[in-house]
Amino acid sequence: MTGFIDLYTEASTFLHRTDPRVKIVAVATLSLLALIMSHLVYLLVLAAVMVVLILFGRASFKKTMLAFSYVFRVMALIVVLWPLFNPGGTPVLLDLWPIKITEPGISAGIATAVRIFCLAAAWYILMFTTSQRDLVRGLVKMGLRFDFGLSLAMSLRFLPTFSAIVESIKEAQRARGLELDKGNFRKRAKDYVAVLVPTVITALKMADTLSLALQSRAYGARADRTYVRELKMRAGDYVALFIAVAVFAVPATAKYIFSVPL
Amino acid sequence: MANVNMESQTPQNPMGATPAKFVSPRTVALYAVLTALTTAVTMTLAIPLPTRGYFNIGDAMVFFSAFTFGWRAGMICGGIGSAAADLLLGFGFFAPITLVAKGSEGLVAGLLGPAYRGTTPMKILGIWAGGSCMVTTYFVGEWILFGFGNAALELPLNVGQVLFGGLIGLALSQAISRYRNQLPKMT
Repeated sequence: MTGFIDLYTEASTFLHRTDPRVKIVAVATLSLLALIMSHLVYLLVLAAVMVVLILFGRASFKKTMLAFSYVFRVMALIVVLWPLFNPGGTPVLLDLWPIKITEPGISAGIATAVRIFCLAAAWYILMFTTSQRDLVRGLVKMGLRFDFGLSLAMSLRFLPTFSAIVESIKEAQRARGLELDKGNFRKRAKDYVAVLVPTVITALKMADTLSLALQSRAYGARADRTYVRELKMRAGDYVALFIAVAVFAVPATAKYIFSVPL
Repeated sequence: MANVNMESQTPQNPMGATPAKFVSPRTVALYAVLTALTTAVTMTLAIPLPTRGYFNIGDAMVFFSAFTFGWRAGMICGGIGSAAADLLLGFGFFAPITLVAKGSEGLVAGLLGPAYRGTTPMKILGIWAGGSCMVTTYFVGEWILFGFGNAALELPLNVGQVLFGGLIGLALSQAISRYRNQLPKMT
């Protein structure tokens, strides 16, 4: 777990060009869609769509695998554990008291694992195709207060710096004889404090400098801020927004108003 | 340092435009740094685990922010910092749950911990109450998403993580308050 990974990949696909606000809305609607569907076949269709979208995002194979490695581990655990804890339904496949495994249990476990894949994929498509700057700009345009947006943007910018600082302080303390991987609960906690105290003091000094820099650049001088690059919804963005909303609204109406099993 | 000024400032401006009402630059800088620090500590000092990915000491930073800078800092920096770590480490869909879990942890710990001049028993009470919020939120969230089995498997790990993080956070906040005079004044 060393260093810092930026999931964003520079490219010029339609996913990259779409307005970040539309993409944030699409992540929300696709996640809700995955949550309301419970039938395995529909979830597999959604997962296939997600895979196609990931391929469109042009992220490298290595990065994609790195991002999904945790997700695959959770999916495997769900497939194993779900039937053990949900022994409902009729076709009983295995009955060794207290373990009872049924066919509906297994299929529900697989459906949940696929749903987790869909939920994770929706987020990754956003992270793969949207730069941090655009993400924050989109959030501010959607109503996040500007000063909180600035704070968020700055913290994202300082993230790699602090990761490097934590790493180097850890190495420096190791060179002085600190052993982070040994000892009991209390001793380990004490050892981590030896790494965190210098880190926090460095960070607070940095915060001090940062606030001076903000003041010297006339932060908050005017309420009506202007931007170098304005976000503008283009025709294609409206189409994408319509599709993103319809993709959730149509199945939700079918399920909750016309009670179609999904 | 203990009481960060949250008042909005209205600077004199030569342009004649409406004076802006924002939080002070000091607060913006402090929150940015604490958020980034929470994310960095969560990501770099982490031990990978089978279920939710990693056993981290990000809770230590949440408790530290809450005890030293109050409940607002605990809630905002803890919640957003931990959620950002989830996003970047490969658990994007988990970020909303983390936001609520760690945000409430920071909020509750920040309300209880500094009360009665922040004595150690109050801080321990804060860790207990805040940790319960976090563990409960994760349990319910995982139950809904992953099913009961995974949530039950995760429960002892979360409790262990909160205890470990709380111990570090407590020691850290005491150590930093000892160095308070040597720290730069937050101008």
